[in-house]
Amino acid sequence: MSHRINHKLEHQAAPAFFVRGPSAFARLAFFSVLSIALMASDSRLHYLTGLRQNLQAILHPLQLLANTPAQIYRNIDEYFTTHDRLLNENRQLKQHELQQAIALQKLNTLALENEYLRELLQTNKSIIESSIVAEIMHVGRDLFTKKIIVNRGFSHGVEAGEAVVDGTGVIGQVTRVYPLSSEVTLITDKYLAIPIQVERNGLRAIAFGHGRDNTMDLPYLPTNVDIKRGDKLVTSGIDGVYPAGLAVAMVSHIEITPDSPFARIICMPTGGVENHRQVLLVSIPQTAKLAIEQSKVEALAKPLDSKEADAKPNQTKPADTKPNPDNTSKPHATE
Amino acid sequence: MPPSKLKSVYFSLIVAFIFLLLPWSGVWLKIRPDFLLLVVVFWIIRAPNLCNVGTAWFVGLFVDLATGSIFGQQALAYTITAFFAVTYQRRLVLFNNTQQLFYVFLLLLISQIALLIFKTFSGADFIGWSYFLPSITGILLWKIAVLLGLNTGGRSRAA
Repeated sequence: MSHRINHKLEHQAAPAFFVRGPSAFARLAFFSVLSIALMASDSRLHYLTGLRQNLQAILHPLQLLANTPAQIYRNIDEYFTTHDRLLNENRQLKQHELQQAIALQKLNTLALENEYLRELLQTNKSIIESSIVAEIMHVGRDLFTKKIIVNRGFSHGVEAGEAVVDGTGVIGQVTRVYPLSSEVTLITDKYLAIPIQVERNGLRAIAFGHGRDNTMDLPYLPTNVDIKRGDKLVTSGIDGVYPAGLAVAMVSHIEITPDSPFARIICMPTGGVENHRQVLLVSIPQTAKLAIEQSKVEALAKPLDSKEADAKPNQTKPADTKPNPDNTSKPHATE
Repeated sequence: MPPSKLKSVYFSLIVAFIFLLLPWSGVWLKIRPDFLLLVVVFWIIRAPNLCNVGTAWFVGLFVDLATGSIFGQQALAYTITAFFAVTYQRRLVLFNNTQQLFYVFLLLLISQIALLIFKTFSGADFIGWSYFLPSITGILLWKIAVLLGLNTGGRSRAA
């Protein structure tokens, strides 16, 4: 291309050092249009997800290279940790372990009791989540969002939508999964909502990240709502993503203005949103969905069994069949 | 001065990219200078035949990938900045160091303002005036590089 222009210009006997290819404005126009097209296809049409994943996989070695200085620094720091500090830490950990062991014993008996009660009620089994331990690689580089990148991706079985938890509470949700890493949006991000419940009175609400500070908002609650300063907010579990009962935030400030029908409630996240290295990715409870479907099929199959069991033999095995609206509506039509 | 090589352009861009990939956090993330834009502007001033608007666009795409933002945002911001750099390139090389410093500062600001506009379009909030700190640290980095002997002006028109 440049050669052709070069040739053309030489034909006009222009000195070679003036040759600069297409004009800067032409380049600007071309690349601007290209960028706008990319923005549209990425943000609205989601065509570039696969491309992004592949490119991220290519960048991963570079990322590891960039992480090595910090890693080496940490290793050296760990090596020179003083005897005293280690002893102290060990003592603390032991104490912690004891407390947790007691809590665990309680939990075991509670779990058994819960199981027994559920059996009595003949409801579906409680959800058992699996989880993956991941380490934070770096904080998100975009200043406009609150994100972290962790070192587990879909080659480790991570799925988008998983809850991310640390020792003290929920810290976010997996929003993008790359082959060897994944992006976690923190609960303080403006676009992340999380269904919560006030521990004291069971009031359900949805908490949103504030975006700018490390706080969360509880919007759209009336001014007479029963929430006090210091109330603990836990996950309600009704969304089927976050396991129920995990600590999310603590109410730190309530503001009621006479000109607004809603209270302004600000909460501080309990999870160490900004200060831990290891996090837990809790997988989406699949069993809950299956169990609900199965119980639906069973409920639908029972009247069929009693009335026309021979007509629909495949309905007696609910585990193999999916709930089919066509099948189930037929008997009503014949009746 | 010997003419610049394409290899050195790419090498410096990769080094700048690794600097971007370092695990910045907290205050350091807020004041992190835009290494890639500084390198791109440097090469546009020095060798516009090797590094031009297109290079800036490609670099911007990789920054978009690294930051996880929508493809094309940073690329467009860099493209606009590179356009202003290329348009005034002939003047830039003749500027003395202080004038050049001021103009590079303007370029960094243009890039940040453009990015801010695109981010606002896609629904982000303004994060406060500290958003513009990277331009100031960027210009300090440029000054340090000049003091250490990096030749950014004079008769450097290669080709």
